[in-house]
Amino acid sequence: MANGWETVIGLETHVQLRTVSKMFCGCSAAFGAPPNTNVCPVCLGLPGALPVANEMAVKLAVRAALALGCTVHAHSVFARKNYFYPDLPKGYQISQFEQPLSTDGSVTYLSPDRGLLTATIARLHLEEDAGKSLHDRFPRRTAVDLNRCGVPLIEIVTGPDFRSPQEARAYLLTLKQVLEYSGISDVDMEKGSLRVDANVSVRRAGETALGTKTEVKNINSFAYVEKALTVERDRQVALRESGGSVVQQTMLYDSKTNSVRAQRLKEESHDYRYFPDPDLPPLVLSPEFIAEQQTALPELPARKRERFVAEYGLSLADAAVLTAERPVADYFEGVVRAGGADAKSAANWVMGEVLGDAKDNGEQLRVTPVGLAQLIGLVKGGTLSHQAAKRVFTDLAAHGGDPRAIAESLGLIQVADTGVLAGWVSDVLGAHANEVSRYQKGETKLLQFFVGQVMKASRGKADPKLTQRLLEEKLTP
Amino acid sequence: MSDPNEALVNAKAVAERITKTRRLNACLTPPKELRASLVQQAAMAHPSGVLYGMPVGVKDNICTLEFTTTCGSRILEGYRSPYEATAVARLKTAGALIAGKSNCDEFAMGSSTEHSAYGRAVHPLDKARVPGGSSGGSAALVAAGVVPAALGSETGGSVRQPASFCGIVGIKPTYGRVSRYGLVAFGSSLDQIGVFGRSVHDAARVLSVISGRDARDTTCEDRDPLRLPTVPESLQGFVIGVPREYFPTDLDPGVRRACDQAIRMMRDLGAAIREVSLPHTAYAVPTYYIIAPAEASSNLARYDGARYGPRFNGSTDVRALYRETRGQGFGAEVRRRILVGTYVLSSGYYDAYYRKAQQMRSLIAQDFRNVFDRGVDLLFTPTTPTPAFKAGEKITDPVAMYLSDIFTVTANLAGLPALSLPIGRIKGLPVGGQLIGQAFLEDEMLEAAYALERVVPAAGEV
Amino acid sequence: MSVSREEVLKIAQLAELHVEEDRLPELAEQMSRILDYVAQLAGQTSETAKPFIPGPDALRFRVDEVKPSPLAFGPDTFAPEFRDGLFLVPKLGQFGDDTGESE
Repeated sequence: MANGWETVIGLETHVQLRTVSKMFCGCSAAFGAPPNTNVCPVCLGLPGALPVANEMAVKLAVRAALALGCTVHAHSVFARKNYFYPDLPKGYQISQFEQPLSTDGSVTYLSPDRGLLTATIARLHLEEDAGKSLHDRFPRRTAVDLNRCGVPLIEIVTGPDFRSPQEARAYLLTLKQVLEYSGISDVDMEKGSLRVDANVSVRRAGETALGTKTEVKNINSFAYVEKALTVERDRQVALRESGGSVVQQTMLYDSKTNSVRAQRLKEESHDYRYFPDPDLPPLVLSPEFIAEQQTALPELPARKRERFVAEYGLSLADAAVLTAERPVADYFEGVVRAGGADAKSAANWVMGEVLGDAKDNGEQLRVTPVGLAQLIGLVKGGTLSHQAAKRVFTDLAAHGGDPRAIAESLGLIQVADTGVLAGWVSDVLGAHANEVSRYQKGETKLLQFFVGQVMKASRGKADPKLTQRLLEEKLTP
Repeated sequence: MSDPNEALVNAKAVAERITKTRRLNACLTPPKELRASLVQQAAMAHPSGVLYGMPVGVKDNICTLEFTTTCGSRILEGYRSPYEATAVARLKTAGALIAGKSNCDEFAMGSSTEHSAYGRAVHPLDKARVPGGSSGGSAALVAAGVVPAALGSETGGSVRQPASFCGIVGIKPTYGRVSRYGLVAFGSSLDQIGVFGRSVHDAARVLSVISGRDARDTTCEDRDPLRLPTVPESLQGFVIGVPREYFPTDLDPGVRRACDQAIRMMRDLGAAIREVSLPHTAYAVPTYYIIAPAEASSNLARYDGARYGPRFNGSTDVRALYRETRGQGFGAEVRRRILVGTYVLSSGYYDAYYRKAQQMRSLIAQDFRNVFDRGVDLLFTPTTPTPAFKAGEKITDPVAMYLSDIFTVTANLAGLPALSLPIGRIKGLPVGGQLIGQAFLEDEMLEAAYALERVVPAAGEV
Repeated sequence: MSVSREEVLKIAQLAELHVEEDRLPELAEQMSRILDYVAQLAGQTSETAKPFIPGPDALRFRVDEVKPSPLAFGPDTFAPEFRDGLFLVPKLGQFGDDTGESE
């Protein structure tokens, strides 16, 4: 660690659950509606309104907890977190405190500094989101949109496990991957369905006690995670080195200037006066309910990676690439199962052409798995050269259709007819007697030259492997 | 099939009566607006509804689409709710007419209706006295014969106590019997909508209509609406417990005489009377005055002038808006309870106060269970320690005011149904007797109430 | 249990309630009286007594579907200040122009 200081970071992640309605009322939870149109007495906090819990939100939360290896508690309690803020209409947020939905999970991730590590998930609990405050829309006013108020969230809190901003980011990416696989959320930081706050402290290398921590907020993308934490860590180190001490406060990250500043002091301390919400009986989950969520979980990334290595004989690195995102993993398996393509070829094509094309086309996997399988089959069967197949792929991606038909229309079908090939081979050998002689005297690398000449003569249509074989036969006296 | 004009006749008559009894300050709705609305409601009332044409007063902490909902507070002055309470919707479906909004202690915090921001309500029989609280307005309207029934709310006895003071019937259902959706929350684990009536039957009919499962209130039990029992021939087979803690040696002699008479009458009707003990009774009021303010401090956090209701200065920044609005919009008693509630929930005090109170609450509930488990069907006690007190008598000392809830808060804490009916007069002032029943066994409680009501001289001097 | 002026002020701030300077002593005294009264619970319960809350034992759920509770009229009708579909309050100034979104 730089300068003899150790950084200690813990992360709190808020994830919006993929439900159609809000956590405690039947309003739509959809993003993007005109302001204050997805509202009702409950989420507006009108006098007399009462919360009613969304079953799917609870299911998804349990699923997420199981995916992260947490212990799901059959009995948990909703609690009120009391504070005043313009986008918190009831003056409290319904969350969980002393008896959360789940605790004691873990996430195994690859730290750039320390190899394979396991981060601890101290707790994962359910709560409702607040609305949005806009401070710059009107002069001297804060504007409030309550559409988001009441959307279901899970809060995932790690222990103080990370020792560098890079590590924190690596964990976060893995967390996002697991949650994405679980299908419980879009986990999109840009859209706000994944938000992260960090607790940062520093201590001298070798110290065991934790230093005073600050909370860093307003980190809006994965890139900023590393930057914000680095900036805050550096600030604390500089402060301590100059003899000062770190004050426990909230720091806001400003991406434009890549700096943090203290949220201007609130006079009152954060005394949230948690107590069990008397409007909501305890959340009691039967073993069947929990088991159902376990069943609903798909194969998670780590397991899928292992299986890809075992079942398809892929390298760990290739398996990691293919399982980074579930749609890609499913796609790859779709190609293999369609028949006609072996796993290795399929893997190469997916990692190469498919992902390359996706990158330029809004992350879409434009060629169907069956189509790609057929294309690969054509190459394997000698009908198309690899080069030709790439051209067909491009066309397939843009226009769809049948790979063989496209190959034919583009005139790319390889010639594997030994009679025709023999003709070209004869012509080429006949035209290059000098090289033939040199080859027979030992310059075996000239074989590729002959292959190239046959390819030229056939305008790329000759099956190169077959051509090579024929040439070898012909050239051997 | 009822006369379709009946509703209109009732509408005009009740508008007349409310105008004539304005000095009671029981109804907060301006007479002109009330009359116009009643006439309109009468035209739309369902003639086949079981409460067709019945005018029912509604306490002003229950949301209605008709009229404003102020909760007796300045902080909701002029507030019109964009939705109505489930209980109100059910009244209307049954053909009832919403006969204005009744005055109450601000946010239901009080025992006299003196803490209303719109002036105190007046006892129909003695204008120097209070009708009780917090549902004093509804009680006064029923006692004065303006409406046959009215909705109130209970958190610590706010229906039974005014019923006792005013000489009418007041029923608090089991917690979870009636939906709280649309009842402005004060102490959420204690609140229930209750009903006043001239008779047990009137009150019970209305209670039956508003009761039953509601998908909008998770604390409302998944049960059918209350079915009304028939009036029993006698009280043969009933075991009535008389808890000694409710009959202290210093109990007002008039109250004691009235209760003794009622107990004698129940015995004459065939009931077995048994002395019992509820040992933790003495801790009920302090327990209540920790739990209720704590929940209230959180429930009232939403009143800040930001999204509805009036604003009180504070244009500099939003915190100033909150502080000015709440500082000026809330009255003294509400402010006091919010502060006490905030205090007992705050870090460092939560365990000593709130957690302790919740534990004591379970002991109080256990006391009742122990008695009921040993064969007692119902309990009988005085409703209030005294008849209606004079306005101004208790208002300076909050604790003195709290002590008038001494016999009523236990039922709220334990979530049990309870009913007050008039059992006599002391120097012309009504006094009530209370029946406390087992959870969700309102029918047994009503049977006993019907039987007693038939024989007890409610207006007789004791 | 005596509640000091300073404690009353701190609680008032937590509760976002403005209290006039000259009302503080009376309020402190009244609160002390109330808190003294309710403090008689101390030592009366065992630590193992479980809290009691009436009502159903377990939460009943709502099906996840878009079915909003009806509003007879919208915020534009009841909000004290409303523009472009947004609730307006005086700007959050002194106490943190924090995690509000900037556009």
